[in-house]
Amino acid sequence: MVHIEFTINGQKAALDIPADITALETIRSLIGLKGTKEGCGIGECGACTINVDGKAINSCLMLGARLDGTTVVTVEGLATKENLAPVQEKFMENHGVQCGFCTPGILMSAHALLAENPDPDHKEISRALSGNLCRCTGYSQIFVSVKEAAKLTDQLNQLKKVGG
Amino acid sequence: MTDIEYIRPLNLKEALSFLWEKGEDTKIIAGGTDVMVDLRSDGLDKKYLLDISRLEELKGIELNNKELSVGAGVTLSEIYSSKILKSNALALKKSAKNFASKQIRNIATIGGNVAHSSPCGDTVPALVVHDAKALVADKKGTRLVSMEEMATKAYMSCLSPGQILVKFILTPYQGGFTDFQKIGRRRELAVSRISMAVFVKKDKDGRISFLKIGLGACTPTPCKMESVEAFLTGKIPTENLIWEAGGILAGNMIKITGRRSSAIYKEPAVQGLFMRILYPVVKS
Amino acid sequence: MKSQNQLKYKSIGKNIAHRDVLGKIKGDAKFCADIELKDPLSLRVLRSTRHHAVIETIDVAKAVAIPGVIRVFTVVDIPGKNLMGIINKDQPLLASDKVRSKADPVALVAALTDDIALKALAAINVSYKDLDPIFDIEDALAGDAPKIHEKGNILFTRRIKRGDAAAAFNDCHTIVEKEYKTHAVEHNYIEPDAGAGYVDEDGTLVIYASTQNPHYDHKEVVGLLDLEDEQVRIIQAATGGGFGSKLDLNVQGFIGLALYHLKKPVRYVYTREESYLATAKRHPFIIQMKTGTDENGKLLAIRMRAYCNTGAYGSYGIAVATRSAVHGTGPYEIDHVDMECSCVYTNQTFSGAMRGFGAPQMAFAHESQMDLLAQKLGIDPMEIRIINGFKKGSINGTGQKLVNSVGFQECLKSVKPYYEEASKNWLTKKISPFIKRGIGLGGMWYGIGNTGVQNPSTAKIEMDQNGRITLFTGCADIGQGSTTILTQIAGEVLGVLPEAIHVVVGDTKFTSNAGATSASRQTYISGNAVKDASDKLASVLLTEGSNKLKVSKALLEFGDHSLHVSGNMDKSVDFAWLAKRIHKKGGSLSWQGYFDPETIPFDPETGQGSPYATYAFACQLALVEVDVLTGEVNVKKIVAAHDVGKAIHPENVIGQICGGVAMGVGFALMEEFEYGKTQSMKDYHIPTCADMPEVVPIIIEDSEPTGPFGAKGVGEPALIPTAPAILNAVSHALGKRIYNLPANLERVLKASIESGQFGPSGQFGPKEKTNV
Repeated sequence: MVHIEFTINGQKAALDIPADITALETIRSLIGLKGTKEGCGIGECGACTINVDGKAINSCLMLGARLDGTTVVTVEGLATKENLAPVQEKFMENHGVQCGFCTPGILMSAHALLAENPDPDHKEISRALSGNLCRCTGYSQIFVSVKEAAKLTDQLNQLKKVGG
Repeated sequence: MTDIEYIRPLNLKEALSFLWEKGEDTKIIAGGTDVMVDLRSDGLDKKYLLDISRLEELKGIELNNKELSVGAGVTLSEIYSSKILKSNALALKKSAKNFASKQIRNIATIGGNVAHSSPCGDTVPALVVHDAKALVADKKGTRLVSMEEMATKAYMSCLSPGQILVKFILTPYQGGFTDFQKIGRRRELAVSRISMAVFVKKDKDGRISFLKIGLGACTPTPCKMESVEAFLTGKIPTENLIWEAGGILAGNMIKITGRRSSAIYKEPAVQGLFMRILYPVVKS
Repeated sequence: MKSQNQLKYKSIGKNIAHRDVLGKIKGDAKFCADIELKDPLSLRVLRSTRHHAVIETIDVAKAVAIPGVIRVFTVVDIPGKNLMGIINKDQPLLASDKVRSKADPVALVAALTDDIALKALAAINVSYKDLDPIFDIEDALAGDAPKIHEKGNILFTRRIKRGDAAAAFNDCHTIVEKEYKTHAVEHNYIEPDAGAGYVDEDGTLVIYASTQNPHYDHKEVVGLLDLEDEQVRIIQAATGGGFGSKLDLNVQGFIGLALYHLKKPVRYVYTREESYLATAKRHPFIIQMKTGTDENGKLLAIRMRAYCNTGAYGSYGIAVATRSAVHGTGPYEIDHVDMECSCVYTNQTFSGAMRGFGAPQMAFAHESQMDLLAQKLGIDPMEIRIINGFKKGSINGTGQKLVNSVGFQECLKSVKPYYEEASKNWLTKKISPFIKRGIGLGGMWYGIGNTGVQNPSTAKIEMDQNGRITLFTGCADIGQGSTTILTQIAGEVLGVLPEAIHVVVGDTKFTSNAGATSASRQTYISGNAVKDASDKLASVLLTEGSNKLKVSKALLEFGDHSLHVSGNMDKSVDFAWLAKRIHKKGGSLSWQGYFDPETIPFDPETGQGSPYATYAFACQLALVEVDVLTGEVNVKKIVAAHDVGKAIHPENVIGQICGGVAMGVGFALMEEFEYGKTQSMKDYHIPTCADMPEVVPIIIEDSEPTGPFGAKGVGEPALIPTAPAILNAVSHALGKRIYNLPANLERVLKASIESGQFGPSGQFGPKEKTNV
């Protein structure tokens, strides 16, 4: 067993986990957050994407033990008590969700992208999302959602600057 | 789930000490993107998981005195965004562009990609082109290993249980023309069917004065393509000449692998990709 | 400026947020792997290690002895009838005497953890006596082929004959005869099949299913376990895509069997690898097609002999063979029709429903034929489709007259400007000597609903005494948005916001059968059932309202949870008042709706009949770039015009079109499921976002009078024209045609080499397009 301590969705977590389980299993089974999904188990679909220290990572390919000392955000950590995150709001408004199984992973990839690049063009969105497979939407409305989320994020940041 | 033990050494010295004693029973994990897949399908049949992902000694990209060093622990994302590599090893940077997916690039390491010894490792052709040497360390010391020697066969590296890949030392190239291209079954998140890296310099008469070729996903282990390089060196690159050279390149591949069923595609496609990748040199 | 037609609707045509989207974006939506259960046991199935064999013995002793293994089930533990199948029942839950594929389940393990279950699988000893296996269609048809099922290897043949094709070919000026092949395709929904269950306090087996048809699941499980209807409850959990594969039972039977015996909570989540091995595939096809025209390009005759590989079990094979025989003509008027389509058994994982049921494979053939004919005749590919395309009054190959809502010509018309622009400008631009550009068209038609059989839907609308409305529907929403549009339909009739309607969906305790979410049928059929139920409630409300407000019903309008007199908002009565009144009088506030499309079953010899009440139509245009040096194909743009009758939720329609195009790109270029070889998502390539073309969706609304507010369907039509358009474009680019899907790297490079374009460019202008 390994003792790990990390921050997840703003909360401190400390637990003992088997040495060889994945971060995905740690989050789903041991911490109990079911929003992150397993689609393939081998990093080929992106449904398990979480943010670790700001980076989009396939949690099925990361050892749970490696979470030690990191800051993790999962889909459950995007919204505040009052508000959805810009990506969530815009995915809802722009019909970027159909069956919803790929959605948490895509939201986390988009979230990581916008934190790094607040005004991505089509190519940059494509590079950020090409590791997230969707079988339902054909991606068009997803791209619209991400672009709109970028605009909203920018507006919110501007508001913050002027003390809004 | 097994009784495997997780070890995270604080520094390289500690890691090497551990491996000296217990290397036979240890699986090294860096990025983990290959190891975790194996863990899931076959189990690991080892007592220890040694996590080297945070070792500082394996990080960093530096240009010192004509030596370009890339730490084995550098991630593919870091390779892609490196300004040093953009100016001195553009083919390596390009090989990171469409490598798997963003999520995988964020944790997969160049050391892991090389040590995994997959014939399709995308960083390898560029490393071959840059005459890269791998600095391999164990408790007793270090040695340099060429790219051709890194893999003894497909999926089998030459590393012994006590060893860790520390960094790669590349010959930096400036000027000239360099590129990396790959062919996959889709545009992203695809294992290469064929990958290729080149570096070319022409003299003032337009003749090829220096040429390096790296061919990926076509041979079980990394191979230099010196006969093709020799064939083209000193000549003015025309389309027909490049086409002929591409034929030689494809022929070299067949010599090494034998005529497999994949050769029906790969033989012409290697020639085709060679033409495509060097076409800008023909035009310029 | 919107037309009057569009302005008059309050809910129809509006892009409201999906009913369940909030849960999905917050990560709260509960898929079967997420559902909270108390210490559920883990289930795993042992599958056959042989393609075709008689089972001699199954020895579970070692497995049972492993600590943590609760039980190992075999066929003897099945209390009811050990046969399932959505059309013909030929598939056992657990193998009894023989196995017919490596997917066949032989034993079921229930254990404390997944790891222990896997250990138990390894400890079960099965001895087999091998039988000769059959892997492909040709072998299955051979005279001396071993029989996979007792009745032989041809499960079913549909024949459709009209006129005299043999004679008509003699009169044809131009004939094209080719053979086309398509391969198995994996649905690859992102959620692997899964289920969970527990036994309720009253003894009911409660099963959560990742499913497209909870009521069918219910019927099947009740039969397997020999229970009464009330003893089993199927609840559709959030379902992560289906595309046809979640119509057959996946784990529901195993969950039910474990619950029946163990009475403890259980869960079974397929790994992706198990989903690949064990669930339905798209039928591989061999299609021999002969089409003839007069000298002006008017189609005169068609002859098709098609064979599809239905694998070890029938599943939807009969429906695929039938639909293919109907749709093989394409959306074109042809007087002389001789179509035969057979589904044959082989020892591969079974084939089943997959978005389009054979129509995508047919479209590849008939659209290639149209281009080949056009080329031979020297007619433009758009022209030949316009000349022959269905219009109102056309008669199809089954002798059915298409009376209403035949939007094919309008689809062609709306694509035409893009086609002409691309021909004139885009095609002529040279971007590199090694990239060839091509454009291609694909037309399609698709019958809405199950083919030539009854497939009704039911629904219930209830109002409580506070005037609150609840919609009960057995219609499974698998992401396409059916729940949302059904509330829009009910909301439109009853004058309430769709969001104000409470919904109970896909729970066999509370809902009634809406039929399967398949065959693009739910908007049309369940939409009508919901409209029927809503109309009935509306009628009762209007009667009471008319009584109360002392005006005739014709002067009353619905709005804002009340009825008011037209033009006089003050003269109104709210639903709560009406509801209490109706209830007091002994009237009903609960109304069941029903709809079954009007069809005429096939004549068994000639296949003549009216197999569908309505059809969707579409035309897509593909712009592609082909790298002649490497065989890579880049689809730059797809223009997709789809006649959907009426878009209840236009963004839903666009979502289906884009998703269908994505699937079509995969089908055309990169998806090939190789039995035994394709094991994980590393081996199988569905398009990433980087593989997507720019999609220009065009919604055509040729209203279907029998549809709810004129609507038909779009789920499968979205994908059907894409691969044909892409393959026509690739052929156009290379001057060499590919007759085998997918047009992967190998096939495209081979075509490039054979076309003479593989090599040094040698010239600096656009290469002349040569004839194929």
